[in-house]
Parts: sequence; C-alpha cells; structure tokens
Amino acid sequence: MHKVIYHPGYSKYNPGEDHPFSPLRNEMVVDLLKELGLFKGMVQPEAVSPKDLYPVHTHKYIDAVERLSTGGINLEQEKYGLGSLDNPVFSGMGEAARLQVGGTLLGAKILIQNKADKVLQLGGGFHHAHSALASGFCIYNDIAIAIKELINAGWHIAYLDLDVHHCDGVQEIFYANDKVMTISLHESGEYLFPGTGWINELGQGMGRSLKLNVPLEPFTEGDSYIEVLNTIVAPALSWFKPDVLVIQAGADAHFSDPLADLMLTTYDFEKIYRRVLDLVDEKTKGRALFTLGGGYSLTAVFRIWTILYLLLFKKELPVNLPHRWRIKWQNNIEKEIPETLHDLLPAFKPVPGKNEIEKRNRETARRLLDAAAPDWI
Amino acid sequence: MLIREVMHPDPITVKPSTRLKEAYKIMQDNNIRHLPVMDHKKLVGIVTDRDLRLATSKLTLHPYDVKTEVGILMSHPVQFTHPSDPVEIATRTMRELKIGCLPVIEDAKLVGIVTGMDLLDALLLLTGIYQPSGRLDVRLNDRVGELARLTALLAEHKINVHSILSYREKNRKIRIVLRVGTIEMKLLAEAICNAGFEVIWPVHIACIK
Repeated sequence: MHKVIYHPGYSKYNPGEDHPFSPLRNEMVVDLLKELGLFKGMVQPEAVSPKDLYPVHTHKYIDAVERLSTGGINLEQEKYGLGSLDNPVFSGMGEAARLQVGGTLLGAKILIQNKADKVLQLGGGFHHAHSALASGFCIYNDIAIAIKELINAGWHIAYLDLDVHHCDGVQEIFYANDKVMTISLHESGEYLFPGTGWINELGQGMGRSLKLNVPLEPFTEGDSYIEVLNTIVAPALSWFKPDVLVIQAGADAHFSDPLADLMLTTYDFEKIYRRVLDLVDEKTKGRALFTLGGGYSLTAVFRIWTILYLLLFKKELPVNLPHRWRIKWQNNIEKEIPETLHDLLPAFKPVPGKNEIEKRNRETARRLLDAAAPDWI
Repeated sequence: MLIREVMHPDPITVKPSTRLKEAYKIMQDNNIRHLPVMDHKKLVGIVTDRDLRLATSKLTLHPYDVKTEVGILMSHPVQFTHPSDPVEIATRTMRELKIGCLPVIEDAKLVGIVTGMDLLDALLLLTGIYQPSGRLDVRLNDRVGELARLTALLAEHKINVHSILSYREKNRKIRIVLRVGTIEMKLLAEAICNAGFEVIWPVHIACIK
C-alpha cells in the first residue's frame, strides 16, 4: 500500500517573494499530478502542537518561534537564527512549520500502524533545523520528530539524505543514537553550506560508525553520484538491517540549481530513485518514508518530484508535459519550462576535469568505508 | 589569540635529580611528551620523550643508563614564552628552532606549557566551522577600505560573518576566505562580483555589469 500526504496549507510556509524557498515548488508538483489525473486519495495532515516538538526542540526556541510568528518580540531572535537572510521572520511561520512537521509525523504513524508501507510526504525535509537554531530555510525539524516516533515504535531507522546540502540538523540530533543510521550525500562542506558532513563525522558513543557522510566534489555528475551511492548505501543497510528507510529527497543536486554546484540530470534522479526503491525492497522490509527538501530551480524541481511520485506508484513516465498546463505555469513563473518531463540531453557542456572529480569521489567513498566498516560487526 | 588562551596551566615537572626511567614513566602515565626541569622553583631545562628514547637507545654509540639523572641530559638554556605573547610569535619561535613546545613564564615563574598540538588546536579554532555557514572566497586589492566595502555589502544583505581568513598573494592582492551565515552564497556572489570584487568561489559567476 502507498499513501501520499499533502495539505494546501503547506503553501503558508512562505518566507517571502524573493526568497528561494518558494511554495510554488510543491504547488507545481500537485497541480501537475492533478492535470495527469493522479491527485486522488491524498491524506491531509494537521499541524502538531508546540509541545509535540519537545522531543527535538528546546522550549525556549519553540517559544521564540511561536512568539515572533504571531507578531510578538523576542530579544534573542538572532541567537536562534531568526530574522536572518535565510530565515526571515514571517507571519504564521510557527503554525506553517508545525503543519509540515504534522505531515512527516503522520507519515511515520501510517507506517507504524501498517496502513501503508511506502509514504510520500509532498512537503517537509527541514534537515538544517537544530534543536535551538533555525538555519538554511528550516525552522522545525520534521524529519527528526518523525524519526523519534519511529524509534518509539521500537524500530531501527536508516535515513538517506539526497539533498545537495549536508543534513547537519538531523545528524546532530541523532549523533550518539544507536537506533538511527544517517547517510548523507552532498556537495563538500569545503564549498557548500553548511560546511559540515566530512567523512570523519562518524557518530559518537553508541552511535559510532552509524553516521555516514559522502562529501562530493563540485560539478559531480550522475554516474559518479550513483557509483558512490552504491558503494556506501547497500553495504551499510545490509549490515544495519533497518525496519524503515526515511529519505529526504531534496532536488537541488540538479545541474540547474541556483544554490549549488552538482550536475545531476532528471535521468540521473530517475536512476537514483529506482535504485533507492530497490534497496527499500531488498533491505528495509519494503518500508519507506519520502519527504521533499531543497531544490530551487523552479523549472526542474517539479519534474524531479513528479518522477519520484510516478516511480513510487509504478506509473508510466509521460514523455511530454501537458501543453495547457505548461503554458499556464510558464506565464505564472515567467520562465521557460521544457516541453518534456525529462531534461533535454546533452543538458550541459562537458565538465572540465570530469575524470579527476570521479576519482576523488571514489576515493572519498572508499576512505569512508574503510573508516566505518570495521565497526560494523 | 594569546598564549594564555591555548596553553596548559600548571604543567607536570621533574627535578634535575629525577632518573630517566622515572621521567619516562611520568610521560607515559600522563600521556605527555615534554617535561620542564625545575630546580627550586626555577626552570633550568627541558626534556622530551625523544631525548629519553634517543639517549637510551641501543642504536646510539654510548647509550645512557636508565638511572642517569635528567639534569645531565636536559636541554638548556630553555626557550620560553609569556602568557601575553601572541600565538603566532610562539609558533614562529617553535618553527624556526624546530622544537615541539615552549614553557610559559610569568614573573620568573613557570605558569604553563604550550605544544605543537595546542597550536594545531588553535588553527582548528581559526578555520573550523562552528556555525552552519557558506563559503566566500575573494581576491581583494591590497588597499585601505576594500575589506570594509566587502563586509558592508554583506551587512546590507543581513549576512553575519562567522570567520575571516586571509593571506597575501602576488601583485598586491589579498585572498580573503569568509565563512558566512547563509545558504544563498551562490545567489549573492553575483552582487559581490558586480560591486567590483574578484570572486574566486562560488565559481562561474558572471557580473551583469
């Protein structure tokens, strides 16, 4: 059984006109699914209450967010990362963020109650939120809240982060936890926000060698990405034997993303999703919870997430986007949308130093495995 | 950054009459490599684990007996530093003399010790990432006000600067690497480029001038 979680209220998570984190990113996916006749039976979540955030966030931080959200003042907002370029204060941000948490948490509950074995949450993925720090567009860490729920069900959880940025918030919250394995593939912190996610960040205490990071070279292409994914993820899951895989399916590793430097095409995303779904069937008892995440190229992210939806539901991938729909959204976002669901190839000019990049990524994955695998006994 | 911020206070010491094997055991037990040698509250020498191992090794022509007194083997006079010395001065001294530590002396009293490891910690502190941040690498002209112009631009965009590193290049240029509190560095690089700065990272930024 499969379920999709979505709420129109997700669009209230809107940090402003010129902000990259536009609600159009999800709206376009949902509208395209409607146009394709696939928008049926979506489950609507409710916003969690502030006290439901206590397992992950500090009381003072929650108070600050909720107060600022309703027009109040908090003198420590800077300390909490609020009111910055990335995380501006906006009206209703507390409730909007809690609704996103509600969606991901509902996904966890559906899995625990065995009402479905694969859930796609068409929102969430706020992996940079720390226990008392808003960061990188993220306020409340929906993933961590959902993982805590899964831990309470007695499960072992593997978390795979495909976002181009390192999942610093999720990693830190579960750094010493032996019930949670986190795996993150991202552009190296040497070049990209948040600056963490090095291979020597392996976890602490009981969580040692359960936190795996693959920092990739800028301009890494799909083949190299999939190669390291295979090197690391399959053996890690084989050993850890999780009861569920939680996937943050950020789409900002796409070559057109304005915030990062990896070079994946939609074809690469299709291959990655197919591989991940195979791994779910082979290694995580068929259970998976997908969330969205980063992805700021408005002409690409909806195509990538639609591909994810279609693969998850074993639907055929149409070659072309519906004409009427395409024209409508082209006018709306004032950018040219490709006629096809997939990118047109070749999508970009050959990357200089491609072999060197592949070699470095291969060595990184190898070194990570050498460091972590001896503990997998 | 001053020595007092990175030094270990109240170091473990030995006397000139301490035997080599005792000194070695003290090092092993405390997981240290350097022992200041004190004679009645006065620093008279220093001895390292390397000194002990070389002096007693069968590979040397005339190995010392392990019961030899430290006073015979110790290095002296001792190079030392002051708690208020800047870290970089101590680093330079250690680098020039190729030595691994400096005792810290204030008012003729031994108050601490600083080793190469402490200086590596200082380097980590200077370059480390303690806040989620993006990276901006620019080449500035080596003249008054250039860095101020850059940081003013960042402030205008409400971006907090977490750390700044700089080093000199040829042709009167200075490379500046900033860790800044934003995920949107690539978007902002264009504005920085347009303000006349040479942006090294993020790359492939075209100014729209």
